[in-house]
Amino acid sequence: MTDCTKTINVRRDVALEAKADAEAERRRLARRGTLVVNLLSSPGAGKTTLLEATARRLTPRHSMAALVGDLETDRDAQRLSPLVPAAQLTTGGACHLELPLVRRGLEALGDPQVDFLFIENVGNLVCPASHDLAEHLRVVLVSTTEGDDKPGKYPKMFRTSQAMLITKLDLLPHVPFCVEAVQADARRIQPELDILEVCAIQDTGISAWCDYLCQLRSERLAAYQELA
Amino acid sequence: MHEQSLVRTLLKQVDAIRREHGADQIREVRVEVGPLSGVEPLLLESAFDQLAAGTFADGATLAIDEVTLQAECRSCRQQFEVDAFDFRCPDCGGHVRILRGDELMLVSVSVACHEHAKISS
Repeated sequence: MTDCTKTINVRRDVALEAKADAEAERRRLARRGTLVVNLLSSPGAGKTTLLEATARRLTPRHSMAALVGDLETDRDAQRLSPLVPAAQLTTGGACHLELPLVRRGLEALGDPQVDFLFIENVGNLVCPASHDLAEHLRVVLVSTTEGDDKPGKYPKMFRTSQAMLITKLDLLPHVPFCVEAVQADARRIQPELDILEVCAIQDTGISAWCDYLCQLRSERLAAYQELA
Repeated sequence: MHEQSLVRTLLKQVDAIRREHGADQIREVRVEVGPLSGVEPLLLESAFDQLAAGTFADGATLAIDEVTLQAECRSCRQQFEVDAFDFRCPDCGGHVRILRGDELMLVSVSVACHEHAKISS
């Protein structure tokens, strides 16, 4: 008997099954009329404040629910619960959300049939970029206080997003942040990026943001109906 | 943390391949890592050594091929290597799709096999 080594060629994306699973969930939610929006940013960029303003603007005409991710506490769910059905996803120590956690959150809300499901990811510009949460729209927030140099530093986050929101616009006169610079940096990485500017606490730009969401919902859901 | 969960998934897939081929011992797992795969090779390697210890993959080498980002222009079909994460087509400025470099790819698995000398019956 001789020892030998046999090499088995595979060439398969390690995330293939996870991607297929997310795609199936995306279809399921699209077919029943829910647009899933994954909100990503560094901590403190204004994701929850944006959701509060969005809920106030959207809910008279549309239904929405929110899943909010953090390492600990249910502070964000408490802030949003008076406005819309909201469930907190606490990750323990994990720096990002994954699809099983999103499913658990949906279950906690009774799998609601809503027009918009917002997932507020854990504040982090790195790992959340690598996890498909079955979203139809990935939105990255950049606040004027965190600097205009972020896209180039975190290319995967910006490459995989379809929209970028520049937040805390009211602070622009007080901080060294150049809107044109951040736009150019982000569009170098993702030329197809839709860019919007908001100040959620003053309700600036929220109307345009909600119009954008409604238009995207019609487009994306129609695309999935055609696939069916 | 992210690399650890990736290695767990990777080891599950390697285990299935090993069983399919009736092999016991893994000698090498070869993967391809690109600049947009979200994977740091050094962290992947240490996560592999840690998680493989005491399993069927104990002592196996994780071979990591680092590949560049390759893209194709959706307008002029030009294929090019993406430099410094600039995703604009260098020829026509058109929108591009990524061909390679945004995944963690399992390339091959090398297993120990035992070749028996032919025994005439």
